[in-house]
Amino acid sequence: MPFPIVLECRNISHWFGANRVLHDVNLKVVRGEIVAVVGPSGCGKSTLLRAIVGTHPPCEGRVLMQSAQGGCERPITGPGRDRGIVYQNYSLFPFLTARENVAMGLMLDQTDLPFRLLRFPLWRKMRKIHLEEAEALLGRLKLADAVHRYPHQMSGGMRQRVAIAQTLIMKPEIVLLDEPFGALDEATREELQRMLLTLYLENCGARQRNEPPPYTVLIVTHELNEAIYVGDRVAGLSQYWDWAKEGFHACPGATVVYDRQAPVYLPDQERSYETFLKQRREIRHAAFEPQVLQDRETFVRFWEEVRAGEGRGVLS
Amino acid sequence: MIRQPIKSRWILPLGMLSVVVLLTAYTVLSHWQHGRNPDDTTIPTWRQLGDGVTKMWSPNARSGERWIVVDVRATALRLFLGLVCGVFGAIVLGLLMGCFAWIEALLAPPLSLLAKVPPTAALAVFFVLVGTGREMYVAMIAFGVLPTLAQSVYFSVRDVPAEMLFKARTLGASQVELIWNVILRTILPALLDAIRLQIGPAMVYLIAAEMVVGDVGFGYRIRLQSRLLNMNIVYPYLGILAAFGYLMDHALRQVQRLACPWYAEKEG
Repeated sequence: MPFPIVLECRNISHWFGANRVLHDVNLKVVRGEIVAVVGPSGCGKSTLLRAIVGTHPPCEGRVLMQSAQGGCERPITGPGRDRGIVYQNYSLFPFLTARENVAMGLMLDQTDLPFRLLRFPLWRKMRKIHLEEAEALLGRLKLADAVHRYPHQMSGGMRQRVAIAQTLIMKPEIVLLDEPFGALDEATREELQRMLLTLYLENCGARQRNEPPPYTVLIVTHELNEAIYVGDRVAGLSQYWDWAKEGFHACPGATVVYDRQAPVYLPDQERSYETFLKQRREIRHAAFEPQVLQDRETFVRFWEEVRAGEGRGVLS
Repeated sequence: MIRQPIKSRWILPLGMLSVVVLLTAYTVLSHWQHGRNPDDTTIPTWRQLGDGVTKMWSPNARSGERWIVVDVRATALRLFLGLVCGVFGAIVLGLLMGCFAWIEALLAPPLSLLAKVPPTAALAVFFVLVGTGREMYVAMIAFGVLPTLAQSVYFSVRDVPAEMLFKARTLGASQVELIWNVILRTILPALLDAIRLQIGPAMVYLIAAEMVVGDVGFGYRIRLQSRLLNMNIVYPYLGILAAFGYLMDHALRQVQRLACPWYAEKEG
């Protein structure tokens, strides 16, 4: 396999009592990809994301991580600093300013409580470096004016931008975004989507220089347009598939019914609505129509496409 | 009109007006009462009040101590020690209950029951357990404020969004750091509010206990002087209590403003 895998969901199933949520979900995320996960509401997108974050382990199956240095894959055992997460709300600590929020990860990662209390002078010096680093990153994300503001003094879009910075400063193997722009207005949403595309552009640059792409993103969203625009790959999760054919008497849960590449856009590029419409229709057909039950492999063609050399973006 | 704002320059004069009206009414009442009975001490005149204050301040003939000094010393120390013990215990218990489900299951039922027992009614329990020395007052205040305060700490810890804790763990926080750097910082303003609200009850418990078993302190002095109908001593003592409560309240608000600038502004 020429493309290094960062994260693999292997045979993940989850249920709450008699309520079957996920059934045999398999997903391998390539380093540098932006994978958008979509699906009808209640299909278990968030359950899958929680399993990946590690806060709610799946009933069956495993989540495996592989670091950039290679090495063997390790199953995750809880939330860890190799997976950053941005929630729709509550990602930022309300009692810290923007730069303190971003520096929080550096503090928690590089020091511990006894060190901060007992070696205070040294810690103060480190703190200064942390804050400078945080300010530099915030500057890169066009937040230079907001470094001293508290979350409640910022707009929703700024908050999510800071939350992304807070995650990125840890240089995680993968960034997980849970409906990150759901509460934002259209214009702000687009601005943040373009920011993600800027990160993707850096990935493509790294790939051309034969370096490992720095950002891998998995974004859960209910907006199909967002998925197609931001993602270079769209995975559809759905409970509407032909489970009867596999011998089940009732739906065993949602599974991956759609997995294909999506067009790659530059941050300031016009979108082509024709390709958009075509893919939207395909995804709706595969994942969102309760009447259409088909073999779950029908639209899972991502690896086929990659093997055929049709990869785009970081997969080219 | 309901909720119609008034001009800001009216706020101070109106507040002062009510104080002036109260003082005038008192003067009139006292004058009228002394017209009926020149030796009255229940509604002392301003001159009588002045005498009372002088009496509080002058050294006692026998011990050479000033009443006000010994009383303030005794009562303030009891209150301080009691509050410190109660608040510290409540923070520890509330944190443990909010963080660990098995401690929560263990302690939530007895605590919600204990919170409903009026400590003044349980006074005898404290005599029996720790005698009638300073420990008794401290224990009474501490156990009086602890259940309620521990409960409010516990509720605020429980209300810390789970996402925030998950987030901190993806940033590499240890269990201790979750408590110190996330949970405590989040609940700090609510904690200060809860402490502020417990100062009143703590004073009630202390004064009640001092009235029953004290040989020095505000409760003792007020009880003794009211028996003698020396209201010119009682009223200044009440005034000092009011001023003290107000100052504590104000000080804690200031602490909150300085320690949690994010909170004051958010809550408006």
